[in-house]
Amino acid sequence: VEILDWKTKKQLCFLDKVEPNATIREIRLMFHKFYPQWYPARQSIKLDPKGKSLKDEEILQHLPVGTTATFYFKDLGPQIGWTMVFLIEYTGPLFIYFLFYFRMPFVYGLDESFTSSPHPVVNLACICHSFHYIKRLIETVFVHRFSHGTMPLRNIVKNCLYYWGFAAWLAYYINHPLYTPPSYGKKQINFAVVMFLLCEAGNFSIHVALSDLRRKGSKIRKIPYPTKNPFTWLFFFVSCPNYTYEVGTWISFTIMTQCVPVGLFTFLCFIQMTIWAKDKHCTYLREFKDYPSLRMPIIPFLL
Amino acid sequence: MAASGSGGSRADNGYGSQQQPRRRKGPGALATAYLVIYNVVMTAGWLVIAVGLVRAYLAKGSYHNLYYSIEKPLKFFQTGALLEILHCALGIVPSSVVLTAFQVMSRVFLTWAVTHSVKEVQTEDSVLLFVVAWTITEIIRYSFYTFSLLNHLPYLIKWARYTLFIILYPMGVSGELLTIYAALPFVRQSGLYSISLPNKYNFSFDYYTFLILVMISYIPIFPQLYFHMLHQRRKVLSHTEEHKKSE
Repeated sequence: VEILDWKTKKQLCFLDKVEPNATIREIRLMFHKFYPQWYPARQSIKLDPKGKSLKDEEILQHLPVGTTATFYFKDLGPQIGWTMVFLIEYTGPLFIYFLFYFRMPFVYGLDESFTSSPHPVVNLACICHSFHYIKRLIETVFVHRFSHGTMPLRNIVKNCLYYWGFAAWLAYYINHPLYTPPSYGKKQINFAVVMFLLCEAGNFSIHVALSDLRRKGSKIRKIPYPTKNPFTWLFFFVSCPNYTYEVGTWISFTIMTQCVPVGLFTFLCFIQMTIWAKDKHCTYLREFKDYPSLRMPIIPFLL
Repeated sequence: MAASGSGGSRADNGYGSQQQPRRRKGPGALATAYLVIYNVVMTAGWLVIAVGLVRAYLAKGSYHNLYYSIEKPLKFFQTGALLEILHCALGIVPSSVVLTAFQVMSRVFLTWAVTHSVKEVQTEDSVLLFVVAWTITEIIRYSFYTFSLLNHLPYLIKWARYTLFIILYPMGVSGELLTIYAALPFVRQSGLYSISLPNKYNFSFDYYTFLILVMISYIPIFPQLYFHMLHQRRKVLSHTEEHKKSE
């Protein structure tokens, strides 16, 4: 086996006496011994310089290579594990919101520092927002099972800027001394709280259902089906009900706070999740011939 | 600030090399006909603006306040460029939707949200600076596309497109920045396009600050686009040299 640089085509290393039934994971580990700075997660090993990266599970003898297999290597850059990514992305908004809720001195001017809002909905919003991110953190640690191990490090800067930035922007308005509570008062707020709780419960149910599909360490994909839990019955109509419930959560938060920045964030979340849902839906359709035809990606019957 | 970059990322005039595994389907005959008409109309439109500027200058004897003589065609044809976003989205033009949208929106923003909305800047000389830069750039750009689509691109047009930007781009950017800067005090005074708290939607927007942020955003964006065009120039013009030598 020889490994060449994908751009310069220079030989980076020659691996002698590799077993025909060796997996790409083992080849990555061998390559790592030659170049300790390139740990397996950041190696992209491919058959073609411009092709797709080979998966860890692929076996050498099943690949279209001759007696000397030639692979191309591309450095994917520093990588960070998904769990770590989510922990960082979600802890930020949690604490940033508190800076505004408790009215830290530099936020609304010194006169308003450490005061609290006369509106109960502001306290409620803080509880809901915090609950949402604490739930996400718990799910990241205990529930989610990730298929890819890592993502490039520079993505985390972009993602954090987005999540943290928006959290700061919407927290600023909700906790502002000049905040105006919703126009329809208690009715609007109560409706929003009920919707919020239902969507959070739904989202959690879906995450648990998805995680149960996959045994620990296994990367095999299976079609998710509705279970006895009524929240999972959305699987009859939708491929990614977790995204549906997530959008529902943010819509309810918008109704609760009646705040344009929250609405804008909800809209952007909706667009992003629709893109993800459509991708996931297409992947399901490609992989499974007997995929239920009634299902839409994110909104029943519509989208 | 929008450079003649839309479509300029294809150094081979949109006829991609066949070595790529995914062959890009070019526009069909109907789409090509439509694009030729579109680009001819736009070339004509910007020529009208150019002629209008020259005539007004000769009539008035000075280059001040020429904006008023070409205000309507400028608005019409610059806004018409929004169609180019649609072209990319439909796939009949091989450019990135996001990049094109960004370039066109920045032009449209300057035309309507700054020059049209803040009447006091319409007499500024900086407006003439960017209008002239835009006019020359667009005439060359649209004729470039027209000839490319007809498969008959004179070297002069190609050279002009990839060379004149060296002067025109900084000229346009200067005109745009000076105009935004001139608009600032009037925006502050009138509270144009700004909302303040409290209001029932719990939202605030300060157009003055927004304009300052727009000006600051030129600092990272302009050098990137400029050097990208320089890089394109080297690729395109040296490529043609090789072709000429091999004949």
